[in-house]
Amino acid sequence: MNSDIVDKLTTIVGIENISTREDVLLTYASSASMAKMPIKPGAVIRPKNVDEVKEILRIANAYKINVTVRSGGTSLQGEVIPHPDGLVIEMLRFNEITLFEDLRSVRVGAGVTYGELDKFLSQHGLWVPVTPESALGCTIAGNTAVNGAGPGSSLFGCTGDLILGLEVVLPISEVIQTGTEASPYAPGPFLRYAFGVDLTGLFIGSLGSLGVITSVSLKVFKRMEYFYYNTYGFETHEAAERFLIELKNWDVNAVFASIYEGPVLELFMEMLGDEYGIPPMEWPHRTVSMTIGRTREDMMQSDAVKANELCEELGGKILGIEELPKGEWDGRLWTFVRACYAHGWHWRTLYHHQTPMNSHRSVEEISKVMDKYGFLGHTAGFLTDHSSTNMYPHLYFDPVDSEDERKIVDAHDELAVTLFKTGAVPFKLAPFWKDKMDGTETYMALLEKLKNAIDPNDIMNKGVLGGI
Amino acid sequence: MTDIDLEDLREELLQCRRCGICRNAVYEAKGFDGICPIWRNTSGFEPSFMRGKIQIALALLDGTLERTSENAEAIYQCTLCGNCTQICGAEFHPAHVLETVRAVLEDIPNESRDRIAQGIQNMDNPYNEQLAMKRAWTADLEFEVPSAGRTLYFAGCTADLRSQEIAMNTARILKAAGENFFVMENEPCCGSVLLRTGKYDDAETNASKVAKIIESTGAERIVVSCAGCMKTLKNDFSEKFDIEIPEIVHIVEYAAKLIKEGRLNIKGYSEPVIVTYHDPCHIGRELDIYEAPREILKAIPGVVFVEMTPNRDAAICCGAGGGLRSYAPELSKKIAADRLSAVTRTGAKYLVSACPFCETNFKSGLDLVDSDIMTLDIVDLLASTKKE
Repeated sequence: MNSDIVDKLTTIVGIENISTREDVLLTYASSASMAKMPIKPGAVIRPKNVDEVKEILRIANAYKINVTVRSGGTSLQGEVIPHPDGLVIEMLRFNEITLFEDLRSVRVGAGVTYGELDKFLSQHGLWVPVTPESALGCTIAGNTAVNGAGPGSSLFGCTGDLILGLEVVLPISEVIQTGTEASPYAPGPFLRYAFGVDLTGLFIGSLGSLGVITSVSLKVFKRMEYFYYNTYGFETHEAAERFLIELKNWDVNAVFASIYEGPVLELFMEMLGDEYGIPPMEWPHRTVSMTIGRTREDMMQSDAVKANELCEELGGKILGIEELPKGEWDGRLWTFVRACYAHGWHWRTLYHHQTPMNSHRSVEEISKVMDKYGFLGHTAGFLTDHSSTNMYPHLYFDPVDSEDERKIVDAHDELAVTLFKTGAVPFKLAPFWKDKMDGTETYMALLEKLKNAIDPNDIMNKGVLGGI
Repeated sequence: MTDIDLEDLREELLQCRRCGICRNAVYEAKGFDGICPIWRNTSGFEPSFMRGKIQIALALLDGTLERTSENAEAIYQCTLCGNCTQICGAEFHPAHVLETVRAVLEDIPNESRDRIAQGIQNMDNPYNEQLAMKRAWTADLEFEVPSAGRTLYFAGCTADLRSQEIAMNTARILKAAGENFFVMENEPCCGSVLLRTGKYDDAETNASKVAKIIESTGAERIVVSCAGCMKTLKNDFSEKFDIEIPEIVHIVEYAAKLIKEGRLNIKGYSEPVIVTYHDPCHIGRELDIYEAPREILKAIPGVVFVEMTPNRDAAICCGAGGGLRSYAPELSKKIAADRLSAVTRTGAKYLVSACPFCETNFKSGLDLVDSDIMTLDIVDLLASTKKE
């Protein structure tokens, strides 16, 4: 990066908080994403407040520097891979947490991780009940930008569903606050849909393309203390999928309900069975692993009875293996990240949502590409929000075998097209969905217009949000 | 490095899928309250914690990053404390792998590493002091220490030359137990720091020499008071060099057993004293010795034992390990001061550890904090509360 520009940036944050060293730049060339080749930026800067971010973006605009905003560096679909000689803004110094107990909300700086927030809230008997699989490394702001989900989503929805407002530095260096906090007279965050248009929603899932999220305000809940764990086996996917819908219809408080194909569960248990204390076994065609959570014991027991009735009414079998859902739920801050890495392969993913009744279609499509290209992979999903299943396919490859990786890239491309045609929708509009979503041209055109209006010099994470 | 397969090493490094939880994971239910002491105490760019270090190691090994001192800073700016290993989901040991990387990258200039290695090679200690000085502390004891016997007390360079109280108090405990122990006239360096800083071949040569010297004494058992010596003699000699030496125990294991058997009379304190314990990485995460020091402290009348957070296998390093104290002394000191803030939160008067290196570094860290905490080794506390 041009040394004059670096000097100007250094004036903003001080020499300790900017780097152009080769070794440092190399480490910002990649993230947890194995879906994109590393690209070295020209500089990395670590601001500590909104004014510094504003100044940084003013310079980036003046010199038309490509900007990539990054916090935990845990995103998996190439969201924070910089442009050559671009500027990475790392947000980890934004570490404030403010609790609004009476408003049942909390405001966190862009550098606060789920683990840090959980520790803070637990002292008050509270929690943010959705934890993404990368909860120990990723920040709430970063997860907002990718609209993540995870354990807790079966009841509370995606991360975005918990958000009451955002503070964002726009690419043109203006600061916007959304939700009730937009009012200087409001006592804090208590309603997202204040002032009509849902501007908060504009930035949720924006993958860092529309501005720099500097703080997130979100709902907090009384921490649940009563949990019931069980597993339910079904011999048809229809019965298992119907079970998920009936749980919702009957208000069974499933905080986390996963649906697994038998062989996929066997693969998972090869990796984590010992840790969970589950001996090798032949799993049914479909297994639903569920944790019911409640703040009151009587409600939890009532839900457990209803869930068991629903299973039997649908011809399912109550498996009684509580170690699986207990392991998933009690270890929710790290179980999934450990499961993703215990086996040694690298992998690409293609996160998407299906309706609960259609989740088997994702299993079928990934099985087809696995057969066609000859690689190991899987997909499983978990019930999310009102009527959706969050699917997370993994396509494994050997990182030292470039041929193997090439195969996965091709399979990945093909899968995006075929999955979309099953009715699946992406919730993280990662770049590899570009040109693979037939019939969304008008939607994408509007998104592009919005991006151009908000970011006239196109400096923010160019090419990432669905290729825009 | 002839024994290290570079392809295997690369595969190990590629086990890291860059999830980044080795940075500052806070996971209250599992006892983690931050992971990397370097990240916490530097400006916090990626190379400060293990994910970045591994990316740099891969680039240095494959030549995409030039092998310069500056580019290799991240490789040496690590205490190898292993807390990243505790949280890591992948099936490898990042700290051990980084140690191997240092061995492969031995050609990269590193003044502190080379100075230490030279000291060990020429003077049998990393402090470049005369070998004869290592046994000087025995002269200050109220009893004679023989130079031959059945149980060897291997004090280690730091207790011999920097924290002699630890050596003296360990000797007093052994004496009180009626142990027929001795201290060598020519105690060599165990070579821990050679291994940690990447001088693998020198460490191997040194290990052969140490084993021969120990064998020549006819010792049947070795007692150590240094966590680094313990890990090196007990694990590294056999695992890395296939060298066997007599049974080895750390003084905390030895003393805990004495207390259990009622063989150590402890006077204790007349007034309650709040004490906390810092788990040294080398006997904690590396050797799972967690309970013995706690049993000792809880057995001392008047001691009110409180735990620091985090502790045991999630404890944050004192900042002295992995050659960092020589490579980046100010950072090392800052990490110690950071760990001392965890002590302050407990209300403890005494911070006790079981490693001369930890204790020395904590003393340095006190320079940076406004605190009346007293830092000492567990043998110091035990000996001072022992009935004569």
